[in-house]
Amino acid sequence: MKLIIGGCTQGKLDYVLQKYDMDASKIWDGEIPKNIGEQKEPMVINHLHNWIKSQIAQGGCPEKEIRTIVEHYPDCVIISDEVGNGIVPTETFEREYRERTGRILVELAKKAEEVERVICGIGQKIK
Amino acid sequence: MTLIIGGSGSGKSAYAEDYVVSLSEKKKKYYIATMQIYDDEGEKKMERHRMLRSGKGFFTIEQPVDIKKAVEKMENGEKTALLECVSNLTANEMFSEEVPVTEEVITEKIVGGIVSLNEQLSHLVIVSNNIFEDGKEYDETTMAYIRAMGRINQKLAELADEVVEVVVGIPLVVKSGRV
Repeated sequence: MKLIIGGCTQGKLDYVLQKYDMDASKIWDGEIPKNIGEQKEPMVINHLHNWIKSQIAQGGCPEKEIRTIVEHYPDCVIISDEVGNGIVPTETFEREYRERTGRILVELAKKAEEVERVICGIGQKIK
Repeated sequence: MTLIIGGSGSGKSAYAEDYVVSLSEKKKKYYIATMQIYDDEGEKKMERHRMLRSGKGFFTIEQPVDIKKAVEKMENGEKTALLECVSNLTANEMFSEEVPVTEEVITEKIVGGIVSLNEQLSHLVIVSNNIFEDGKEYDETTMAYIRAMGRINQKLAELADEVVEVVVGIPLVVKSGRV
């Protein structure tokens, strides 16, 4: 699995598509395959942070689900915004979202064979 | 002195703890906690941090304000300390009075306090928060806090031997020096 992170609108998806020469039909945007097997590799999950947010809003457990996905798609590419670099929000939900997204990304980074941080469309390999 | 910076959930605390452990050898290790607990969420957060630290051999000192006084609670002899974190310390100092303290005054107090603390230690590791990249406009009080934090981080980075940014648990050295 490869993890791509960075601020919003930094060209992360374009960077991935170009680097891995993928076509756009394989992108899951703010969601993940509901049934393992409905999607074959290679697979890209874009805007993972949006999916995490929707899962938390529904009272789900994104930590567990993404673990399952990574087990079944060891060659997938996961793209997420970094959302923790701001003033800690006063709203409980927003605080929880940022904290849990951060921790999920730390866990994914540990498992990833490669982590890149994209800024201005340029990727820096940090692992 | 080492400055470690990262956002919420970036893994900066876990990294900072291991960092202190690795450079402390047989020296006494102190954990200087600055968070004031008001509610269940704060309680849980503190508990999580305590669990993270358990077994690593830290002695905890609560010091939500007047950071240089932390040294009065330490024993004599060689020691290292982990200060966590500058963002809580700054908020506590800034908003404990009825009228918020200005960013100039607060910067001097925090940086001065940390420098004086550092002089008493073999090594001080400071955790600070990256609160600067959400692109939002806040009320004037919060903006003053953000500016104060910006100044304090810059000053501490200048004084530090090493500055590390932690991103998704991965340390990125932004200033390297001899530690």
